[in-house]
Amino acid sequence: MTQTLLTSSPRVIEQIDWKGRAVSILPLAVLVVLVLIVTSQQPNFVGIASVRGLLESMAPILLLALGQMFVILTGGIDLSFAVTASFGTVLLALWIPELGALGVLAMLATTTLIGLINGFVIAKAQIPSFIATLGALGLYSGLGLAISGASTIRISTGYEAIGWITDLRVAQLPLSALLVIVVAIVISVAMRVLASGKSFHAIGLAEKALLMSGGSTVRIRILAFTLCGLFSGLAGVMLAASQRSGGPTLADSLQLPAIAAVVIGGTAITGGVGGAIKTLIGALIIVMLRVGLSAVGVDPSFEQIVYGVVIIAAVVLTIDRSRIGVVK
Amino acid sequence: MSAPVLQVKNLTKSFKGVVALNDVSFEVRRHEVVGLIGENGAGKSTLLKILSGIYQPDSGEILRNGKKIVFRTVKESAAAGIGMVHQEQSLVTSVTVAENILLGAEGDAVVGGIYNWKVLNRKAQKQLDKIGSPISPTAGVEDLTFAQRQMVELAKALGVEEYTADEPVIVLDEPSSVLEGDELEVLFAQIDRLRQIASVVFVSHRLDEVLRVSDRVYILKDGVCVAERNPETADTDELHRLMVGRESSAEFYREGDQKSVVGADVLLKVDGLSRQKAFSDVSFDVRKGEVVGIAGVLGSGREELTRVLFGAEGCDSGTILLDGTSVRFSSPVGAVAAGFGYIPAERRIEGIAQSMSVQENIFLADSRPVSVGPFMMVNKARQVADEWISRLRIRTPSRNTNINNLSGGNQQKVVLAKWLNSPRLKVLILDHPTRGLDVGAKEDVYTFIRALCDQGIGIVLLADTLEETIALSHSIIVMRDGEIQRRFDAAPGQKPLPVDLVEQMV
Repeated sequence: MTQTLLTSSPRVIEQIDWKGRAVSILPLAVLVVLVLIVTSQQPNFVGIASVRGLLESMAPILLLALGQMFVILTGGIDLSFAVTASFGTVLLALWIPELGALGVLAMLATTTLIGLINGFVIAKAQIPSFIATLGALGLYSGLGLAISGASTIRISTGYEAIGWITDLRVAQLPLSALLVIVVAIVISVAMRVLASGKSFHAIGLAEKALLMSGGSTVRIRILAFTLCGLFSGLAGVMLAASQRSGGPTLADSLQLPAIAAVVIGGTAITGGVGGAIKTLIGALIIVMLRVGLSAVGVDPSFEQIVYGVVIIAAVVLTIDRSRIGVVK
Repeated sequence: MSAPVLQVKNLTKSFKGVVALNDVSFEVRRHEVVGLIGENGAGKSTLLKILSGIYQPDSGEILRNGKKIVFRTVKESAAAGIGMVHQEQSLVTSVTVAENILLGAEGDAVVGGIYNWKVLNRKAQKQLDKIGSPISPTAGVEDLTFAQRQMVELAKALGVEEYTADEPVIVLDEPSSVLEGDELEVLFAQIDRLRQIASVVFVSHRLDEVLRVSDRVYILKDGVCVAERNPETADTDELHRLMVGRESSAEFYREGDQKSVVGADVLLKVDGLSRQKAFSDVSFDVRKGEVVGIAGVLGSGREELTRVLFGAEGCDSGTILLDGTSVRFSSPVGAVAAGFGYIPAERRIEGIAQSMSVQENIFLADSRPVSVGPFMMVNKARQVADEWISRLRIRTPSRNTNINNLSGGNQQKVVLAKWLNSPRLKVLILDHPTRGLDVGAKEDVYTFIRALCDQGIGIVLLADTLEETIALSHSIIVMRDGEIQRRFDAAPGQKPLPVDLVEQMV
C-alpha cells in the first residue's frame, strides 16, 4: 500500500470560485463602509465614549448570535433563543436577592437545560427545529410572563453579583464586552484546532455522510442547542446587569438583530458554512447599522424593519442555490 | 431511402475542461431499435441530456428527418417527438397513473385549472393502450411495482406523439437495470411492439440484452463513438472489448493478486441474523483478508443485511461476532468504534461530506491518528492528508480543495482514504464501490481491495455486476428473498460463472 500502483489518468479541475470569494469578504467590506459613513457624518465617532457605547450594545447581541450560530451551522434554527434570554432575566431577578452569585449560575443552568431539552426533542424526535423552537418560544415567553406577573422586576439586593459586568473597565472599555469578543475568538480557534471542531459544519453540509462515518449527529445537534441555551443565558445576565432589572420581554427585541448578525456575517442559513469571527463581524455590522441609522436621523422604531430587510438581503446574496434542490 | 428519423452529427460537449463527448455521430432509422452501450463515464448520459434538451452541445448538430433542430428545453425536445424513459424513475408517486402520464401535457383535460377526470383518464388510457398495458389510469402510482411504473413512464414518453405528426423516437435509459426475469421479458416484448409505431434508442450496459433487442449497436468509450456493430455478427466479448478497451477481464480485476485465505482467522462471524421483512437466518463468516461477495437482486435483502451489519438499521435476532466478541450496534457510531467501515452506494450523499475539503473528508471517520486528546495536530494532519493523496493518487489540486470539485473516482478514493486512515478498521463493507466510476478509477479500486486484503482486513462486497462480484471475491453468497440460497467458493481458477449465480438469484 505504500507504493502507488495506479493507472488513472489525471483529471484535475480547479476553478477559482470568484463569486464565493467576493461573498466571503463582503461582510468585512460592509463593516468598513459603515464605519466610514458614520465617521463622515459624526467625526467624533472614533472617540472612546462612542466605542464604549458600541461595545456595550454589541455584547448581548453577539452572545445571542454566537449561540444561534452553532444551531444555524447544523442547518437548524432556534427561534426561542431571545425569549429564553428574557426568561433568564426574570429568573435572575427573582433568584439573585437570595442566592447572589449562585443565582446567576442557577439561571445559566436553567437556560442551558432549556437548550438541551430543545436539542433533545429535535434530534431524538427528528422534528424540524423551526417548529420545535417556535413551540418553545410560546412556552418560555408564557412562563416568563406568568412568573414575573407580566412586569419588570427591579434588581437591587444582590446586584453586586452582576454589577461588575457594567462597572469593570479596561482602558476605559467595558471588560465584559471585551470578554465576549475573546469568547468569539476562542470559539473560532477551538473550531480550528479541535479534532471535532468541524462537527457542526459537517452536520449542516453532509449529515448523512457524517452519520455513515460513525459520527454522532444526535449528540452534536443536542450540543448545538445546549450551547445556544447557555449563550442565551449569558446574554440575559448582561442585559439584566445593564438594565438593573429582569423583564419577560427584555431580550425579545434582540431576536432579529442577533439572527441578522449571524447571517450578515456570512454564516449560511442552510448550515455548514460560517464561524465565530464571521459572527463577530456580523454583530459589529448590526450595531454600526444601529448607530448609522440614528446618525442619518432614522427613528429608532424603524430599526426592526431594517433588521428584517437585512436578514432577507443577506440570505438572498449568500445562499448557495446549487445545494438546495427545491425551496420549501 | 428517406433521411434517418434522428441523426446526431459531430456532437461535442465538455464540462470545465473535461471532454464528455467528442465528435459523436450516430443515426436512428425508421422503426429501428438502436443500442447504445458504454461504461459509466463514457458519455451516455451527457448524450441523452443533450437529446432531451437539458444540455446544449458545444458544437455539432441534431437532425430530425434531415432537418436541423435545436433543443433549448425539455419541452422543445418533446415537441420534436423525442420521448425519454429515465433511468431513475421520474413519476410523482402520490398521484394517479393518469395524472402522471399527462403531467405537463393535460391540454383539454384541465378546464379552468380543474381536472376533467373523464377526459384525463380517457387520454391516459389511450397512451396505455398503445403499449397494451393493463394498468388502470386511476391507479395510484405508489401502489405499482417498479416494473409497472416503468410501463407508465413508457406510456408517458409515448405521449410526445401528440406534439408531432411524425412517429416518435423513444429513448430508454438503462431500462433493464433493475428488472428481472419475467419483467425483463415484458420489457423486451414492449420494445418489439414499440418498433411498429416508433424508433427506439436503447441505452444499457448489459451487453447480452442490447444484442438481443437492437438492430444496430453503437459503442461509446471515453466520449467517443468508437464503433458500430451488427448484433447478428457481434458477440458480447467483442462489445466488452470495444467498450472497455482491454483484452483480459482477469487482468482488469487483478485476479492474480487474490491470495488464499484458507486457514486464516475468522474475523466476522454472522450467525442466524434476521430482520423482519428483509432477511432471515443469515449466517456466514469473513476471514482475515477475505472478500465475501453477496449477490442478489433487488429485494434479496443484501442491502438491508449490510446496513444492519453497520448499525444503520436494527435486527430482530441472531448474533454478530467480531474477533470473537459479540457485538450489536444501535447506530453506525458503535459500528465504527468497533472497527467497521462502510463505503456506501450513495457516494454523493452518504460517502463524501459535500462542500468540505479533501482533508476534512479524510479525517471524517477517525481523526485520532492526527490528534492529541481533543486537539488536532494541524501540521501532522496536513502531512497525513498529503500522504493519502499521493498514496492513493487522488487527483486534486490540494488537500484544501472542495471535494465537490473532484471527479467521482477521486471522490471515492477520498472515501477509501477516510477508512484506511482509521487504525481500528477491521471489516470494510463495500456497497457498489465502483458505481459511476470510469474504467481507470475502477481498476484503482480493485487494486485497493487486493491491498486491503493483504493487510488482513475483511471485506463484504456488494458489487455492481456479477462479473465484478465473481472476480473480486474469495467466496460468494447468493441471497434470494432474504435467505442465503447458496455459497460458492471463488478461488482463482475455480470461479463460478455468472450463469451459476443467476440460477440461484431468481
